[in-house]
Amino acid sequence: MRRASFHVAVVLACSAAALPAHAQWIKYPSKGIPRTPDGKPNLTAPAPKMPDGRPDLRGIWMPGPGTYVGNIAKDLKPDAIPFQPWAKTLYEHRQETQSKDDPTGWCVPGGVPRSDAVPYPFKIIYTDDEVVILYEAVHSYRQIFVDGRQAPKDPNPNWLGYSVGHWDGDSLVVETSGFVENSWLDNGGHPGTQAMHVTERFRRKDFGHAEIFITIDDPKAYTKPWSVTLPLQLQPDTELLEYICTENNKDLEHLVGK
Amino acid sequence: MSGAAATLHGQWLNYPTPGAPRLPDGKINLSAPAPRLAGKPDLSGVWQLDTPGCGPEGCGDYPGAPEFGDLGAQVPGGLPYQPWAADLVKQRSATIGRDDPVARCRPAGAIRLWTYPPPRKILQLPGEVVILSERDVTFRQIFMDGRPLPNDPEPSFNGYSVGKWQGDTLVVESTGYRDGIWLDRKGSPMTNAAKVTERLRRVNYGRLEVQVTVDDAKAYTKPWTVTLNQHLFPDSDLLDYYCQDNEKDDAHMVGR
Repeated sequence: MRRASFHVAVVLACSAAALPAHAQWIKYPSKGIPRTPDGKPNLTAPAPKMPDGRPDLRGIWMPGPGTYVGNIAKDLKPDAIPFQPWAKTLYEHRQETQSKDDPTGWCVPGGVPRSDAVPYPFKIIYTDDEVVILYEAVHSYRQIFVDGRQAPKDPNPNWLGYSVGHWDGDSLVVETSGFVENSWLDNGGHPGTQAMHVTERFRRKDFGHAEIFITIDDPKAYTKPWSVTLPLQLQPDTELLEYICTENNKDLEHLVGK
Repeated sequence: MSGAAATLHGQWLNYPTPGAPRLPDGKINLSAPAPRLAGKPDLSGVWQLDTPGCGPEGCGDYPGAPEFGDLGAQVPGGLPYQPWAADLVKQRSATIGRDDPVARCRPAGAIRLWTYPPPRKILQLPGEVVILSERDVTFRQIFMDGRPLPNDPEPSFNGYSVGKWQGDTLVVESTGYRDGIWLDRKGSPMTNAAKVTERLRRVNYGRLEVQVTVDDAKAYTKPWTVTLNQHLFPDSDLLDYYCQDNEKDDAHMVGR
C-alpha cells in the first residue's frame, strides 16, 4: 500500500520533492490491537474508546481510499466551490501553470487541510492536554491543544496554523486559524488566506477506518464556507519513516510550468 | 551564519503551563520536586539548553552554549577524534563550515538538536517518549514498549531509539544513524557505526540533566560523554522554525 502510494504521490504531486531511497519498511506489531484468528489486525472491529470515554483516534493513518491531495474537492461538482472571483482566477492560473509556484516545492509543510490528504502516513498521539499529529511527510508535527484554551487573537501566521480542539460525542473537533496568506489546500492550488478558519471533525468509524469532515471558511477567498469528507485508513504494524524533503531536492529546477 | 533563515521577530506564545507548581506570586516554583507519571518521573515539558553567563547585551532570543559550536567544549582535551576525523574537522573549520548540512536546511539530527537554542518539548506517553523540536519543526520518537533496536534500521539523521527506566533515569539507546552527520558547527563527525546512549534525569521541576555518550569507533578513539543540561521554558510553547521558508543563505555561502 505505502509503496504504491509513493508512486501515486510522484505522479500527482510533482511538489513533494525528494523521496527517500528505497525504504526498508518498518515492521513492528502494534500492541493491543484486535486481531483475527490468523493474527492479522481486525480492521472492522469496533472503534476503541479511551478509559474516560473520549474517542480514541490514536494510531498511524493514511488518507484513502481515493486520492485527495491533487484536488481536495474531487468529490464535489466542479462548480460547487464558491470561489471569490480573484480566487477562481488564481486557481485557474495554477492549473494552467501546473502548480509550478507550489510552496511545498521548497519543502515547507503542506498545511491544513492539505497535510490530512498527503499520501504519507501520520501518527495521532494523545497527552492529557493535547492531540499531536506526527507527519511522516516533511517529518513535521502539529499540536492541537485540547486543554480548553482559546485560539490566540493574533497568532504568528504559519503553514499549519494554530489548532485548538474539543471532544464532541464520537468526534474530535479541531478549529484552526492563524495561517499564512498563501496556503494551498491541495496540489491543484485551491487557495487559502490569512482569513481562513478550518474546522476538522475527526471520527473513527471502526477500528481501521476514520474520516475527517473538513469545512473551509475563508471569506476572503470563498463567498461561503464549503466542506469535504476525507477518508482515512489505519496502518497497523508499522512506524513512520524519516522523510527529509530538503535533502537532494531536485524538484525546484524542474518546476517549470508555463 | 549557521542557523540559516531565522524567523522574523516572533510574538512569543504566552500561555500558562497547566498544573505547574506556583509560588505565592504566581511564578512557577522551579525547585519543586519533579512531577511523576505512572510511578516514574515525568519528563514532559518545554526545555531549553543551559547557557553559561550571557554577555552584557543579554542572551537574545536564542541564547547559545559552547556545545553548539563544539560539542566537546567541556571535554578535557576535546573530543578524541580518529586522525581522519581530526583532519576533517580542521578542513571544515578552514572552510568556515561551508558544507554544514544544516546550512542547507537539512536536519540537525537528534544529538545536535539538544544543543540548539530553540526549545524542545518532551511528551511522555504510554509506550513512547516523543520529542518535538522547534528548530525544523521536527520530531523524534523513543520507543518505551520493550522492543529491541532493529538489526538493520533505515539509516536516518535521528537514528532509531529505544528507552528504559533505570531508577529515576531514562536511558535511551540509539543506532541506525546515517553517515555524514555533523554533531556541531565545527563539524565533529558521526558515522553509521555510532551507538549513542542518552541519560535523562529530571532533578526537580525546572531542571533536566541530559548526558550523551557517543560510541563511534570509526570516528573516535574511545567513547566520550558530554552534558547538555536543560532548564524548563515554562508558560510558553514551541514556535514554528522553518529553515527552508524564505531561505536566502544558500546563495551566499562561499566559505573558502
